[in-house]
Amino acid sequence: MSDSIFNLNYFEIFSQPVTTEPDVNLLKQKNRELQQQAHPDKFANSSDADKRLAMQKTSLINEAFETLKKPVSRLQYMLTLKGVDMNGETDTSMDGAFLMEQMELRESISEVRNQAEPLDVLATMLADLKSKAKNLTIEFSESYELDDLEKSREIVRKLQFISKAEKEVNEIIEQLEDELI
Amino acid sequence: MALLQISEPGQSTKPHEHKFAIGIDLGTTNSLVASVRSGKADTLSDVDGKHLLPSVVRYSADSIVVGLAAKENQVKDPHNTISSIKRLMGRGVEDLKAQFKSLSDELPYEFAEGDSVVPRIKTAAGNKTAVEISADILKVLKLRGEETLGDELEGAVITVPAYFDDAQRQATKDAATLAGINVLRLLNEPTAAAVAYGLDSGAEGIVAVYDLGGGTFDISIMQLKQGVFEVLSTGGDSALGGDDFDHAIAQWILEQAGVDSSELSSSSLRLVLQEACSAKEALSEHTETEIKIDFSADKNWTGILNREILNTLIDPLIKKTLMSCRRALRDADVDKEQVIDVVMVGGSTRALRVREQVGEFFETEPKVDIDPDRVVAIGAAIQANALVGNDAEGNLLLMDVLPLSLGLETMGGLAEKIISRNTPIPVSRAQEFTTYKDGQTAMAVHVVQGERDLVDDCRSLAKFELRGFPSHVAGAARIRVTFQVDADGLLSVSAKEETSGIEASVEVKPSYGLQDSEIEAMLKASMEFAANDKDARSLREQQVEADRVLEAIDSAMADDGEEMLSAEEREAILQVRQELEISRHNATEAQQLKDAMSKLEKVSAEYVARRMNASVQKSMAGHQVEEFK
Repeated sequence: MSDSIFNLNYFEIFSQPVTTEPDVNLLKQKNRELQQQAHPDKFANSSDADKRLAMQKTSLINEAFETLKKPVSRLQYMLTLKGVDMNGETDTSMDGAFLMEQMELRESISEVRNQAEPLDVLATMLADLKSKAKNLTIEFSESYELDDLEKSREIVRKLQFISKAEKEVNEIIEQLEDELI
Repeated sequence: MALLQISEPGQSTKPHEHKFAIGIDLGTTNSLVASVRSGKADTLSDVDGKHLLPSVVRYSADSIVVGLAAKENQVKDPHNTISSIKRLMGRGVEDLKAQFKSLSDELPYEFAEGDSVVPRIKTAAGNKTAVEISADILKVLKLRGEETLGDELEGAVITVPAYFDDAQRQATKDAATLAGINVLRLLNEPTAAAVAYGLDSGAEGIVAVYDLGGGTFDISIMQLKQGVFEVLSTGGDSALGGDDFDHAIAQWILEQAGVDSSELSSSSLRLVLQEACSAKEALSEHTETEIKIDFSADKNWTGILNREILNTLIDPLIKKTLMSCRRALRDADVDKEQVIDVVMVGGSTRALRVREQVGEFFETEPKVDIDPDRVVAIGAAIQANALVGNDAEGNLLLMDVLPLSLGLETMGGLAEKIISRNTPIPVSRAQEFTTYKDGQTAMAVHVVQGERDLVDDCRSLAKFELRGFPSHVAGAARIRVTFQVDADGLLSVSAKEETSGIEASVEVKPSYGLQDSEIEAMLKASMEFAANDKDARSLREQQVEADRVLEAIDSAMADDGEEMLSAEEREAILQVRQELEISRHNATEAQQLKDAMSKLEKVSAEYVARRMNASVQKSMAGHQVEEFK
């Protein structure tokens, strides 16, 4: 591996095309291959400079892997490749219907413990969120292809909401399951 | 002298150089040292054939005793005999108050008063920190390694619980430094166990390592594939272990006996804990056991503890470990059904109830066929061997993760996560912050570790200030804070104000860790020892070099000494060669050997040059000069 890894984008590091749905197994396989060459353990006997370089390379590979592995960060990263940085953005406009839906969802999450079979309800919620995310990802693909960056951004914002809701659902599932052990 | 050795390209004249490295499992209850010899990893025993070294140190005015002999004096001399010191590693006085509130007197030591945030235990040999006490254990293990392998050690891999935070890891590394050990890597205990298990069984797939030791609990979910050991997630509790089983049993004994723990002396308390531990161990074999305790001359108690009672005492603790298992599975995005094996590690997994509950949870019979005490040290030795370059195939690779999220304090005492738990390491991440007041020219950076939202609920790792950046209106300054976590899981932080370039960086010396000055003082104390050590090392190095030189000159002389040298020249070289050989065996200082070698180098310089020429001519014969341009 040449030092030029620092000049590659994350998809290039993993020899993958820029896509919303990369082959995750291929990513994992490639990750292991890259780590075999770059990991600091392979440079335990090298100079401090080489050790440092190994740490930086592996840090980069890890960062790239983590970014591409998770859907929201992957899409966000795709936007940065087109010059859109969503970190710290102040314009967060979103369509009202979506926001209303999210608020309702949050409400049902917070009241789920009162349901007869809370775990079943939560499982349905999760499935629902997953299918929404899938549709949004397809939409993103199209708008990204057409360079409609404004729309792509809005989709990512929606996905961020969904991912946050997923996390909340999972936390409650975890609590309920812990109570059952 | 290197020119003497002219060999075929790609062929080394140096015999294969085997470097010695050890793996150390520095445990709460017992410690071990292992190494790879003749391709096989195994733990090393002491002169009595014992592999386990009890992690107990006894201090007296003129001696330090480590291991069984110390352990035997625990009840007799509780204040000077320190055990389970791992539980105090990287912990501050405040932490201990929080951690041990239920049995405030369970630590039968006297702590020195003072303004230091690091607890110091009063002993007959002076006040000792956890780092110093651990270093005393490490020294014994290092010596055992050197004596068994008969050579200088290149270094050691030292294992730590996966769930150890930055302060605890740093403390462990400090202890090794103090013991004069070159730390090749800090390795997570479950990862080490997986290496030993994986290489032994050849298993491939997703494996859970359940590691319940004396004082710590770890769960790691790992993917094993083609020599790559990839940690998918890790979880646990760095203050939960078999010791807690003992404490639960001890409390039960005290309740049954109607004895208030605050009325007991340190010795009696130790005795109750020891009896509790023996009873626990007995119940792995038998369904019930009798406990007899003489609290004092006129107060003794006898009772029966059976498995049912034991289970009710330890079930709440086992439940805590299972909750961690569930979280780790979720973090790894793995279903229980995907886990092909559950590997049981740590002495406390000998408890039948633990095996039973873990098997029930994972819906598979846990693997208990490997020695749960030794597997971690063996894994560490395999990693150490690979790190020093002895692993010929070089396929072994361990990919680990950060166990606990790292973050910064932001306004309102909130912790903002910069790197979340279970992120693969090494990792580097930066985050930009800004000022909240007009004209603000300094900013305090407070680094914390943990999963909670409030800074007060997380562990404080370090505080530093970034000063002197230009005055801006609120929100205009750009302060970029970069976290770098290395392959040992250790953090360093740097901060930079982007518009001015003002920079600050810190090695994260934990808030509750030792100050640099403290480490320095300890190092100074052991300096004399270190100086001797260094001399011995450089003499040893020169001896090796002398052997190499002798071998080279002998082989050259045998090769072409007759043709290339006159009788007098040969005689001169041989004589100086002889002097070197004598020095090789008699020299007590490295310099004497160096002198002898440079003398030989001088006298044979002409010979070297002739050989060089001959070799060049030989290799050029039959070729056109152009080819060499």
